[in-house]
This record gives sequence, C-alpha cells and structure tokens, in this order.
Amino acid sequence: MWDQVKQSLFGSMGRAMESLARLLPGILAFIVALLLFLFIGWVLAWFVRRVLMALHFDERMSHGANTIAEWSPRLTPSQLVGRVVFWCFFTAGVMVGVSAFEAGSSENIVSGWILGYVPHIIGAAILLLAGNVLARYVSRSVLIAGVNLNLSYARLLSIGVRWMILVLTGAMVLDHLNLGSNIVELGFGILFGGIVLALALAVGLGSRDLVSRSLEREASRAIEEQQQPERIHHF
Amino acid sequence: MAAIEFAEETRQQAERIGSADIVIGLAGSASADELRTRAAQIVPQLGPNFASLRIVVAWPSPGAESAGASPDLNGSNLPTFFPFTPQAGSSGDFWAPVSAHQRAVLALAASLNARICIVLGPDLAALDAHTIQLFAYAVLERQCGLVMPIYSPGKYDALINTGILSPLHRALYGKRIRFPLAFDFAVSGSVCSRLAGIAASNHNSNALLWPVTVAATDTSPIAVGQIHLDAHHQAAAGGLDLSAVLSQLAGSLFQEMDACAAHWQRIRGSQPSPIWGNAPTDAADGQPIDSRPMLDSFVLGSKNLDEVWRLVLPPNTLLELRRLTRLPPEQFLMPDELWAGIVYDFALAWRLRTISRAHLLGALTPLYLGWVASWVGEVSSLTRAAAEQRFEKLAHAWEDRKPYLLSRWRWPDRFNP
Repeated sequence: MWDQVKQSLFGSMGRAMESLARLLPGILAFIVALLLFLFIGWVLAWFVRRVLMALHFDERMSHGANTIAEWSPRLTPSQLVGRVVFWCFFTAGVMVGVSAFEAGSSENIVSGWILGYVPHIIGAAILLLAGNVLARYVSRSVLIAGVNLNLSYARLLSIGVRWMILVLTGAMVLDHLNLGSNIVELGFGILFGGIVLALALAVGLGSRDLVSRSLEREASRAIEEQQQPERIHHF
Repeated sequence: MAAIEFAEETRQQAERIGSADIVIGLAGSASADELRTRAAQIVPQLGPNFASLRIVVAWPSPGAESAGASPDLNGSNLPTFFPFTPQAGSSGDFWAPVSAHQRAVLALAASLNARICIVLGPDLAALDAHTIQLFAYAVLERQCGLVMPIYSPGKYDALINTGILSPLHRALYGKRIRFPLAFDFAVSGSVCSRLAGIAASNHNSNALLWPVTVAATDTSPIAVGQIHLDAHHQAAAGGLDLSAVLSQLAGSLFQEMDACAAHWQRIRGSQPSPIWGNAPTDAADGQPIDSRPMLDSFVLGSKNLDEVWRLVLPPNTLLELRRLTRLPPEQFLMPDELWAGIVYDFALAWRLRTISRAHLLGALTPLYLGWVASWVGEVSSLTRAAAEQRFEKLAHAWEDRKPYLLSRWRWPDRFNP
C-alpha cells in the first residue's frame, strides 16, 4: 500500500512540475516582452519630449486660460505627453506579454480573460486619475473663491465639493470594472444623496446662525458702502 | 518684428494723412464731439512752438467716421482728427482693452512717422494744454524716449500700484517710476515702433503693455522721464471684483518678470528719473478709514488658505503671518520686508507653476488686503507728502530684499516648501 501512496505522490509531483515547466516558457516570454516594451516606451517618451520641446510645445499650450498646465501644474505639457506615450507602451507590453504567455504555455483561459479585462482596467485608471485631478482643482477653486467672497464656510463648501466628485468618480470606476453592480449603484446613491442632504442641512439648519450672521455682515457692509462711498481705490 | 494689422479703411486714412509731428491718441473710445471740441480749444493754447507742428488726434471708434482736418478757425493750426477701427483683441476685461488701444495708437503714430506720440486716457481727464506741453518738452527738448506720469492720488488711492506694481517694477528694473502702468504716457518716434512691434509679436493678445519694462530691457538705452500730472482717472473695473483685477495686473507683471529675467537679474539698486512739472499742493486729508473689513479678509484667508500658502511661502513667512493674525487691529503692522518677500515668493511660484496660476493669484488677494490694512493704519495719520515718503521707504525695502529673490530664482531647488 505504501508503494501505491508513494507512486501517487511522485506521480502528482511529476505532473505539477510538468505543468510548471509548461508555464515557464510563457512566463519568461511575458517578462521579456514587457521589458522590451518598457525599454521602447522609455526611449520613445524621451524622444517625444525632445521633439515637443524643440517645437516650443509648452509655450504654445500655456497661452490663454484653462490650459493643460492649469490642471496639472507640476508637469509640463511635454512631460505629460511623454508619460502618456510611456504608459501606452507599458500597456501594449502587458498585452503582448499575455499573448506570448498564451502562445508559450498553451493556456487560453487566463489570457482570454486578461485581454478582455485590460481595457476596463485602463478605462478605470483614466477615470480615477481624471476624477482626482478634477476634485483637487475644483475644491481648491471653490475654497479660494469662497475666501475672496468672505464666506466663513468656504472650507466646508470646498470639502463637500471634493467628496462629491470623489464619490462620483469612485462609483464610475467600480461600475466600469463591473464590480458590485447593484450594490455599488445603491451605495453611491445613498452616499451621494447623503452628502448633498448633509450639506443642505448644514447650510439650511445646522449652520443657520453662522450663515445668517455672515449674510447679515455682507448685507450691512453693502448698506454701509451705499451710505458711505468707497474711500479706498485699489487702482 | 510683427506689425499690428489695421483695417483697410484705417490704412487708407493713414495714407491720406501721410505724416504728423505729434500724434495724440486715446486708449479707448470717447465721445467724438467732446473730443473734437476739447482738442480744437486746446491746440491753439499750446503756444507758438506748436504752431508749425502737424498734430493728429486719433481714437478708436467702432463705426469709424472718415478722418479729416477740422475747419481752420481764425487761421489757427487745428489738429487732424483720425478715428480708427479698433482691432480684434481689443475686447477683454479691465486693463486688456486699454493696452490693446495703446498699442494701436503707438502703431498708428509709427506709421505716420510721428516725432512724438502722446497716449491719453479715454476719459479726457489729461487732455489739456499744460499736459501736452510738458510731454512735448520732455520728449522733444530733453530727449526722453519715454515719459510717464506722476499722478496725485489720495493716500488711499492706487493701492495696487503702491503696494505691488511700483515697488516691484522699481526693484526689478532699477527705474524709480511711480506709475509704471498708466493711462497717459508719451514716447518719441523711435520708441513708438519698438513698443508697438514688441507688443504685436507677443502671441497673447490680452497681454498688458508695460512701457517702462520695454524701455529698461531694450538693447539701446531709452531715457525715461516723468511729469507731474494733475488728472484723476477712474479705472472702470466693469463689475470685476478685486481678486480678478489683482490677478490680471499681478499676473501680467509676473509674466513680464519671467520673460525679462535675463535683464533684471543684472540690475542692482535704482536710479531716479528726471521729473518735470509742479507737484500738486498737499490737499487736506480725509478721515481715517476703518481697516477692519480688510483685516477680517486677511484673517479668514489665513485660516482657510494655509494649505495653499504652504505650497508657496517659506515656513518663517507663514509663522510671521500667523503671528500677525493674533495682533489686535490697532497694532496690526505688516513689515515691508515681509510683504516684499511674499510677493517675490508668489512671483517665483508663478514661474515654477507650483500650483495653478489662477489659484496662485486668487490666493494672493487676502495677503494683499492684509497689507492694505497695515498701510491704511500707518498712513492715516500722515499727510500725503509724508505718505509718499513712506512709500519711498517701502520701495527701498523691496530693493534690499532683491537678493532673496535672485537666489530663489536661480536655485529654486535649494528651498522647496
């Protein structure tokens, strides 16, 4: 009996090693393809940045208001384009690597699933990035505008706006990834509606005194300004 | 250099006129009837020196009438009136259309080979014989390439100019010009084309015109003078709030600073420029102004914009600002060095794009109001002349702080808050 047990064990180990040996070429092919595309992507990104700098792309894109530079001030437009090129090649490298894995290991199921899901991941990553950039930009705009309008609840407004955009973004990302589905939709509706209701209650009821004092101050200042003409002229 | 493109009818009118000795242009639309009447009254008062000079009065007029000389009354030399079609890009907020019209007038003067071009505000506040005589004297007799005005505002007027534009301009370009951005100025014929050409080559049609910057950074030296001007312009903000006005003016100055960095980094100290005309007598001062609303804005900004200011200002400046917020209103005083350092840090953040430029300039407003509160508190007990002396002290502090700007501009990575 022990011989049979030993035979089964050695047999299963052999089969496992055989499976691994069958997968190994595919894994190596995946790594080689990814590294190759990373290298090509890095070289092309550098080349594209140099070409754009020679064409004064940054100066052209910085004219006027609401330019790319306003939304992402830390990276110049040419750096942004370079990064997009790099990540495109990275993504292409992943997809080629997955195909190479499929060819090398004769495993169709994994590659089919991954190749089908990669566009969703890319879309979700783009949505997440855009949502974060938008949330940061809009919340800061609301904060600064609110302070310059002498609104004492400017920070509250800014935080509320930021979270609304982030919650919306999160829901869109999960929906794009086909995760949760009904639960995500329901959760988003409750959360988003809750934030809006909380803001409305805070402004309408909870901060009623604060808002009314702020409004009274503004109103009395307007009346004072009408009674006494503005004596400071900034320009 | 790129030339400003005029409408066909404007070009034809210019060709019909041919040339002029003096071009007086308005930086905005004006009532044609009033302008003709005023100009026709003033020109004969200019004196015998002007009798032989050919004078053209130009102004932008959307439904441009045809140019022509006014009827010659009593044999006096009356000007030729030249309404021209405003160009595209002369719309916009606050000062942008003023600059666009100034450029157009300069380009017209260059096309007419004028010996002197006098640009005036559209409200005609500066259109008088004395002003034209002074401008002409400075340019034609004293050989100044550019003549800027010295207005006589009240202690609480032109505060953006007092607090930012004038001291920053002086520290950067080494010229003690009291009003670097003005409705009224005069240039010689040779400078006309340079000013108009440099402005036209700027891709951004909304860029403001800074004549003193051009004079200071030109390859051949341009002499700059000033005249005392008893005119009170009221810049129409057109419904824009302070933040928008400050953003436009400070943003434009920072833009110029970035473009001319190679020039101002070599300049140390400042030189006085010749001044002509009589300073106005010191008028009686009004009652002190309540600075509490401005102080409240500053304190509100300090509480809410700390996360933004932290990206721009160094830690010791932030500490100093926090200390200021704890002071009672009667003791509130923003040191000149601190204010100069703040504006320099914002100029650097503009260049480095530390945050969005729109946000950067919006975040400057509460700090500016804090400075205004401090300034108002200081000058309320001073006469206007004493307030001007106080401004001199402020301007010196900006010049003394310039090495800080230079070191941060050249090596921004050494300190990055």
